[in-house]
Amino acid sequence: MAFRIDRLGLRVQEVLAQAMGPLTYGALTAWMRFARAYRIPDLQRVREEFRAQAGTQPGPLLVCANHLTLIDSLVIQWALASNWRFTSRRDVFVWNLPDRRNLAAFWWWRVLGYFGKCIPVVRNGTPDQARQTLDKVRWLLARGQSVVIFPEGGRSRVGRVDRQSVTYGVGQILQAAPGTRVLCVFLRGRGQHVYSDYPAKGETFVVRLKSIAPISASAGMRGARDVALQIVGQLSEMETRYFDDTGVDR
Amino acid sequence: MDHAAALEKVTAIIKPFAKHVEALKAATDSTRIIEDLGVNSARLVDIILAFEDEFGIAIDDEAADKVRTIGDAVQMIVQKTATAS
Repeated sequence: MAFRIDRLGLRVQEVLAQAMGPLTYGALTAWMRFARAYRIPDLQRVREEFRAQAGTQPGPLLVCANHLTLIDSLVIQWALASNWRFTSRRDVFVWNLPDRRNLAAFWWWRVLGYFGKCIPVVRNGTPDQARQTLDKVRWLLARGQSVVIFPEGGRSRVGRVDRQSVTYGVGQILQAAPGTRVLCVFLRGRGQHVYSDYPAKGETFVVRLKSIAPISASAGMRGARDVALQIVGQLSEMETRYFDDTGVDR
Repeated sequence: MDHAAALEKVTAIIKPFAKHVEALKAATDSTRIIEDLGVNSARLVDIILAFEDEFGIAIDDEAADKVRTIGDAVQMIVQKTATAS
C-alpha cells in the first residue's frame, strides 16, 4: 500500500516536474551561468557525446558520477541536455537522490528539489529505508527513466574518486533493473581541490562521459560489489586521465 | 565452531576496516561494529562477504541486516557453521 502511494507520488512529481521544467531548468541554468559565472567550455561536444552514447534511444539509464559538490547533479543535467531537449524527452531529465538533510536547509530548496526530480534519501539509513529507495529507483528505471547516482555515497572527502567509501547500492540497483544502461560521468571544476558545498564562482567544468556495461558472474551482495567496483574503477580511470591530460598537480 | 574461535576470527576480519583499533582489542559481544569500532557503514558488506569466504557459509541480505554488534556476527556464524556441518 505504501509503495502504491509512493508510485503515485512519483508519477505526480514527474508530470509536475516535466511541466515546470522549462521554468526551473531555465532559472537554475541562468543562476549557474550568470550569478555563479560557471562555464562548460565544450558544452556542445558533451551534449553530442551524450546523444551518441546514451541519448539516442529511450530506455532506462543510470548516470554514475563522481561527487565533490552539492550541485553536481545540477551541473550534470546542464551538461547533458539543453532545455528544450530534456523537456521534450522525459527520460533525459534525470532523477536524482540527494541526502534529505541537504534539501532541508531552506523551503525553496525542497521546492526546487521536487520540481528538479529529486527523491530525498536518508544517507546511512536503516535497511528498510535503503530498500524503499531501491524500490523507487527500480520502479523508475522499469519505466524507462534516467537516474543519476553517486556511487561514492557522498561527496568525496579526499578530493579524488574515493574507492574506500564506495557503496554497493549502485550494484543492487543494476541487479534489480536489468537492461539498464550505465553512463559514467566524470565532472570536475578546474579549480576544485577538495569537496565543497558549491563550486567557486567563475568555475570552469570538465565533463567526460563513458558508457560501460558492468557485469558479474555472482549474484547477491557479491555481484553488487563487483558491479559497483567496476563503475567506480571507471570513474577513477577517467579522473586519472583528466589529471594526466591537464597536467594539474595531484 | 565455538564462540571463542568465531570471536577471534571475526575480530581479525574486522581489523582492516576498523578505525578504532584499540576498541577492537577490547571488543566484547556488545561492541557495535559501526559506532564503536569506526567501521564505515559501506564496508559492512565487505565484512559480511569476508565472513562467507572465511567460514564457508551463505549470508542472505536479511541476516546481514541484523548484524550490528560483534556478538550478532559471532552468533550468526556459530549458528550457520553448526547448520552447515
